Amino acid sequence: MPTRTPHTDSGSAPGPYRRTVSALRLVVVGGALSYRALFNWTTPPMFIGTLLVGPLLQLLFFVFLGRQLHVADDRFYLLGNAVVSASTACVYGGTMAVANERRYGTLGAVLLSPRNRAPLWFGRAIPYVLNGLVISVFTLSAACLLLGLRIPVEALPGLGAVLLAAAAGCSAFGLALGALGLRFRDVFLVSNVASSVLLLLTGANVPRETLPAWMRALGDVLPLTHAADAARQLSAGGGLDGRGIVAELLTGAGYALLAVVLLALFERGSRRRATLDVM
Amino acid sequence: MLAIEAKNLRRTYTSRTGFLRPRRTETEAVRGITFEVACGELFGLLGPNGAGKTTTIKMLNTLLLPTSGTARVLGHDVASDPVAVRRRIGYVFGGDRGLYDRLSALDNLRYFAELYGVEPRDQKRRIGELLDLVGLAGREKERVEGYSRGMRQRLHIARGLLHRPDVLFLDEPSIGVDPVAARDLRRTVADLRAGGTTVLLTTHYMAEADELCDRIAVIAGGTIRALGTPDRLKSRVQERGILEIEAYGAGEEHLERIRGVSGVHGAAAEERGSRQAVIVQTERGADLHGQVLAALDGVRVGRVVTREPTLEDAYIAIVEEADALAPTDVPGPTDAPASTDASGSTEVAA
Repeated sequence: MPTRTPHTDSGSAPGPYRRTVSALRLVVVGGALSYRALFNWTTPPMFIGTLLVGPLLQLLFFVFLGRQLHVADDRFYLLGNAVVSASTACVYGGTMAVANERRYGTLGAVLLSPRNRAPLWFGRAIPYVLNGLVISVFTLSAACLLLGLRIPVEALPGLGAVLLAAAAGCSAFGLALGALGLRFRDVFLVSNVASSVLLLLTGANVPRETLPAWMRALGDVLPLTHAADAARQLSAGGGLDGRGIVAELLTGAGYALLAVVLLALFERGSRRRATLDVM
Repeated sequence: MLAIEAKNLRRTYTSRTGFLRPRRTETEAVRGITFEVACGELFGLLGPNGAGKTTTIKMLNTLLLPTSGTARVLGHDVASDPVAVRRRIGYVFGGDRGLYDRLSALDNLRYFAELYGVEPRDQKRRIGELLDLVGLAGREKERVEGYSRGMRQRLHIARGLLHRPDVLFLDEPSIGVDPVAARDLRRTVADLRAGGTTVLLTTHYMAEADELCDRIAVIAGGTIRALGTPDRLKSRVQERGILEIEAYGAGEEHLERIRGVSGVHGAAAEERGSRQAVIVQTERGADLHGQVLAALDGVRVGRVVTREPTLEDAYIAIVEEADALAPTDVPGPTDAPASTDASGSTEVAA
């Protein structure tokens, strides 16, 4: 019987530099490939229809409704919807990044990877951060052109930072929801509910001061809430609200941590409870 | 060092049904199996659907935790040291799923190369080698959604080999592939073994197991019923003769009647397109043609052949014996008498 000497674990352990490069590749290359593999809306018709036209129409709907009801001015809805428009890509993308592995039967093959899970899963979230940012910028630009809203040029870098923080936080939120896909099959139900919750509680379309206290408290710990406030302040010439951005980043970090914990927990649980029944 | 050691492995699945009045059901998929696979060996795990083959593989490859018992792969415990095990193993499963349909074969392999830690400088060369090996060179830029089942299966194998695993688990790799693709696949597996890779193969195709495997374990009802070389398993039915009858419309009642004939050890029917092959195991030398054909009264029969027993006949005999014991008399792990052959491997007598 032919035998070969199995390679030893200690023989060629990579150094810190190679380990770092390898982790970065997993984040960047792995993230980009998994985005193309798992995101349902990458084809031009789906991307344009679902991620660009849909949010723009939603923005116009709320602007005209707001004008009719005299609840708030155009700026309120325009900035709020530009921020919340990232949620479609970020929430559903984060969910697809995990849950679609079941659809393709690849979850088992992915979980057999010996790689550290943090770069593996966070790499998957990064394309959605960029995607969310692109959607927010497009929605804001298109709406400014259509509705004639002027934003001070000096506010633009700050606004870019706010939108980036919002997309990052929302992607971490989506990944945390996606983690549920390791345990439950019908996780898109949760994403649907989460999207509605973001629309209602983040203050994107409903002034938060009109909400009951418990809803305001819930909104405080959701992504996008602090970013929406900061974006409105910036566009009104009020300068960059550092506390708002920090609050948004902290919220996102909280969801990132939650995602890591849930992913680790459910992966371990899947070995015990055999929940990866579909390979 | 052994490539695989499984000691008294058990796995129970718990399922819950009902919302208001939930009921828990426990199913023992694997009931205490013990076997060892040497480095470089090609070991076959055969058994009917639901016998516990895939559950066993999933415990060995770290996707499932054993309910009890222990297993080691190249010395690493599958329960407590899964990452070390994953670095050394590859897993290939049969069927259409398990690949990213929207990506090309090349991108599938690139992604899994990242996941399995293939060094960036080696990736391009390794992927090229594997595409050549599985015959997908030239088609690697096509999306997998347009691939035939055979092409997908070959891509599965390429993926499983990306990181040059020392131990490869092949779970029904030839399921649903055409004869030519199956032959190519057998050649690939034989080459891997020749190169020193340890392979654990599950298959329903006896000819494949007979051709490839150094040793075979037959698993049924969650326990190992027989373990040995293909020749040794075949020797279990050497004292028998095989009567193969071409038939059209033989049902279970006919098989029962055949089984009731004195001198018959077992009977099974295989569907072969529009016809059936009724395979009857008889005492060697016994002329039971007339009685068996009488038991098939009312069924249109064609050619009747007497032949030597094959591995498939041995397998059927083992599984039928297991069925006769099931469900209440299925022996647990401690019930199965074990002996040790000259090579030191454990052989469970069926």
